[in-house]
Amino acid sequence: MQDRFDVVIIGSGAGGAPIANRLALKGKSVLVLEKGPHLRPHYQLPGKRSDFRRDELYASGPEKVLRVPGVANAGESYYGSHAEPDLNDEPHVYRGADGRDRATIEGYTAQLVGGGTQLYGGVSLRFTPTDLKLKTFNTGRAGLKGDPAGDVEREARDWPVEYSELEPFYKLAEELVGINGTSANQQKPFAGGDGYQPPLTPNPISRYAHDGMVALGRRLGSDVLPYRAPLAVITRDHAPSGREVPRTAAGVPDPEAARTSFVNRYGDPLGLKSNTWVAFLSPVADRENFTLLANCVATRLSSAGDRVTRVHYLDPAGAERAVEGRYVVVACSAIESVRLLQLSARQDANFSRRINHNDLLGRYFLTHCFGGARALVPGRFDKSKALDADWATDCCATDAFLRAEGLWAGGAIYNNTSDQALPLSLFRTHGSQDLDTLWKGFAGDAAMRADGFIDFLDREFGRGLSVSFMANQVPQRENRVGLHPSVVDKWGRPSAYVVKTWHPHDEYLMRVLAEQCAEVLRAGVRASDPGYDIERRGAGGLSWGGIYQAENALARMANHILGGARFGGDEADSVLDPTCRAWRLDNLYVTDGSFMPTSGGGNPTLTIQANALRVAEHLLARL
Amino acid sequence: MSSRGSRPDDEYVLNECVKHLSRAGDPPPAGDEDAASAFRSRVAEAWRFPMIGLPRGVPVDTSASAESQGNTSGPENLVTFVYKARPGDRTEVAVLGTFATLFDPLPLREVLFDGEDTGYRALSFTVPAGQVHTYKFRVGSRFVLDPVNPQRERTGDGRLWSRFFTEGYLQPLILELWELRLLYRLVEQILPFRTAEAENFLRRYYFGLDKAARNSAVPAAFRLDESVGEVNAIDKLLAREEAHRLADYRVCLKQIDRVLRLRNSATDPYEMPASDYIDLYTDMASGGPIAGWDYAAYGNPAFFIALLRRHAVTTAFSHPKYAGNVGAAGWAYLSERYVDPVKRETLFDWPAALERPLGTSDYYR
Repeated sequence: MQDRFDVVIIGSGAGGAPIANRLALKGKSVLVLEKGPHLRPHYQLPGKRSDFRRDELYASGPEKVLRVPGVANAGESYYGSHAEPDLNDEPHVYRGADGRDRATIEGYTAQLVGGGTQLYGGVSLRFTPTDLKLKTFNTGRAGLKGDPAGDVEREARDWPVEYSELEPFYKLAEELVGINGTSANQQKPFAGGDGYQPPLTPNPISRYAHDGMVALGRRLGSDVLPYRAPLAVITRDHAPSGREVPRTAAGVPDPEAARTSFVNRYGDPLGLKSNTWVAFLSPVADRENFTLLANCVATRLSSAGDRVTRVHYLDPAGAERAVEGRYVVVACSAIESVRLLQLSARQDANFSRRINHNDLLGRYFLTHCFGGARALVPGRFDKSKALDADWATDCCATDAFLRAEGLWAGGAIYNNTSDQALPLSLFRTHGSQDLDTLWKGFAGDAAMRADGFIDFLDREFGRGLSVSFMANQVPQRENRVGLHPSVVDKWGRPSAYVVKTWHPHDEYLMRVLAEQCAEVLRAGVRASDPGYDIERRGAGGLSWGGIYQAENALARMANHILGGARFGGDEADSVLDPTCRAWRLDNLYVTDGSFMPTSGGGNPTLTIQANALRVAEHLLARL
Repeated sequence: MSSRGSRPDDEYVLNECVKHLSRAGDPPPAGDEDAASAFRSRVAEAWRFPMIGLPRGVPVDTSASAESQGNTSGPENLVTFVYKARPGDRTEVAVLGTFATLFDPLPLREVLFDGEDTGYRALSFTVPAGQVHTYKFRVGSRFVLDPVNPQRERTGDGRLWSRFFTEGYLQPLILELWELRLLYRLVEQILPFRTAEAENFLRRYYFGLDKAARNSAVPAAFRLDESVGEVNAIDKLLAREEAHRLADYRVCLKQIDRVLRLRNSATDPYEMPASDYIDLYTDMASGGPIAGWDYAAYGNPAFFIALLRRHAVTTAFSHPKYAGNVGAAGWAYLSERYVDPVKRETLFDWPAALERPLGTSDYYR
């Protein structure tokens, strides 16, 4: 097997695949190492038998019992997707509020070709210009709430790239990924236009969200209007990837085939969801200069001087192998990328000296401030025919809103359409909204039985509507990813250890934005049904909050795992330079979410993809 | 049924195996049951072996409904046996079992990566859905149990065999009849199918199934006229995916039987009024003391209720291939109950997303 490449890329998801695509198309030799399996949509398999099924137990399968020695939640149940790593085999450990360590499935990006984009909901928002300039925005500001020690001004960082530099790559990413949505009313510049395909018509339940968002913009005085949430699902034939919308028996394109609530946490048997396999890798897969090795786990990098000389990995048999790349790109999701760099440093003093020269690797780990509101709406709708979101608004991301509310940064608000749409998802998330506590609410609600069960179904089925926010989290030096001192994976390698807390300003921000989400639901229902008492309908009535309030608040990551290897313009203050290159390792790049110095006011995948395309251009210039 | 087996493509085997079986250390020596047990206990989802999937390659006729055991014209599974050896170990590994010829072990093939031996040996067979089989590996000259698959069955001559079952298997596999009967009465107190309206629905629904589907589903599923086959599916769950919970059921059903008899000595538990079950269910869920319950044997009856609740709804509303939700009756109940009052269209149009024959999507298989 070829063992020298122009570029070796570790990870086939949002940070790695766009680079592989651009370089392979330019004739560079590219190797992509992927730890997980290679599962394909129907049209790539003989007999059109997809590797993915629309089966609720694929998203969260049977119970498994945690057996990781030494963690406080050993013996507890957990439920994972068929495409997620097993927690007993490859634990992620976090430090709980009581100081005790627990394993968590939160923040585990799916491991298969396509990475997290195989299972994600596909919400593909651009960040705002202010998201990238939060140091500038907050310097010398008065009136910031929940920040008595001045942490925000001290810890906020501007990105070393401006929105205007990123904008063409946003558009390119939208075009290459295959995203539907609308740009009108988004509070970000679209000077070069957008790269969107047209959206499907929204699910009828989303009209409450739309009307509520209109009312919220009016109430806040900005009159910012909602837009169709950009979603990584194609609704038209997609030339860059060669994908086609299915045809009816009469040969007519049927974009409605994409409309299913088997979307978030499901691989798409039709390949219409734009994961990075179908969008970026499949189009170059037949080229002789492109190699994809699935089921191969990178174990460490070794170095000489200022260069990474070899990438070591275990092949499917568990045998050690190594390859060389003129350039090496690490993009296997923030926690695992940081872990790989730290494991490499343990075995290579030169690598350690160069990657740890400023003690920042693993620090400033980030996720998002997230949360929202949920209520039962007056009508009942077929939520099983929905994509992940329909409407979004940036009315809580404008500078004026942030100043008025004393917030350091804002975030996007959008309605979730596909959540709790299918029977098992309704049951297993009843009273528990995260992956670590699935089923607990339903299983413990013993009074819900027989007629009570029917009452529950009558009340809830097709009637729940949630509105979420996704906002910046304050960077904190002590929020970090490290290697656990005793917990190891199935190979005997130290596991990732996540230590993070929420800043008081994060909690304030989550309260403010959750209240806006609640107001969206109130106003949206009031617009069409003023007599309906949204506050009290259903068992819980209207509920809202931020994730800091959850029982396992310190574990929650929304699978948005960011930071830990931030980029910047100052070598003393960042792990990576503005091109995402390690400051002292000339041929090492890190391009998953770990490069982010702040987490942005929206789901991160599109920005990871756009930045990867930017880095690809830089690499092409070097090659 | 393909009696000679077929070589699965290497990528398919690796995609399904590496996550589970690739780990530090050598595989257990052939026939070393202690080593196999230790290895198996570290594999998070050992139940996934042998691999039960859908046939790949040339399409089969998807218009047929499930057929009973022995009929090969119905839906089929691709069963792939995998044995993990040390790469380069040339000892022949073969499989024999009731799905093929019992006197003629068929050799597994080397699975290659980059042209080199991975140590994985594999062979695929097409086996009709709804069947159970036993098998052994022959490694060199020794016949051994599958060291990964935890499912075992003792045959009439007292010997242990490895076992697997294909999708939609509708016969009880591990629970005894009295346990199934008790379980049925417990589960019916949880699920929404014992109202008159729901019972009417189920009778109408099953009657409306096409003949092949009805022949397959109705006689086989325990008390199917008043359920959607969830007890049978729990039996399957305990036989495979959640075998670690079998002990909870064994211990608790015994206790429940005893407590019910203590409370109502005049009636067999299966015939007792629903109120007896509801009272005990409520007592167990509340965590209060239950006279006659052996807390030394099982200290937390509320935990069992929570477990039972999860299993009841999972089996009633998951994909029918897991053997509950027979004929998709659980889903159909929801789609009939929730209808747009103006358009008269269902508000749970589940068939649109699913491939045929269960669903109506022609866009994938």
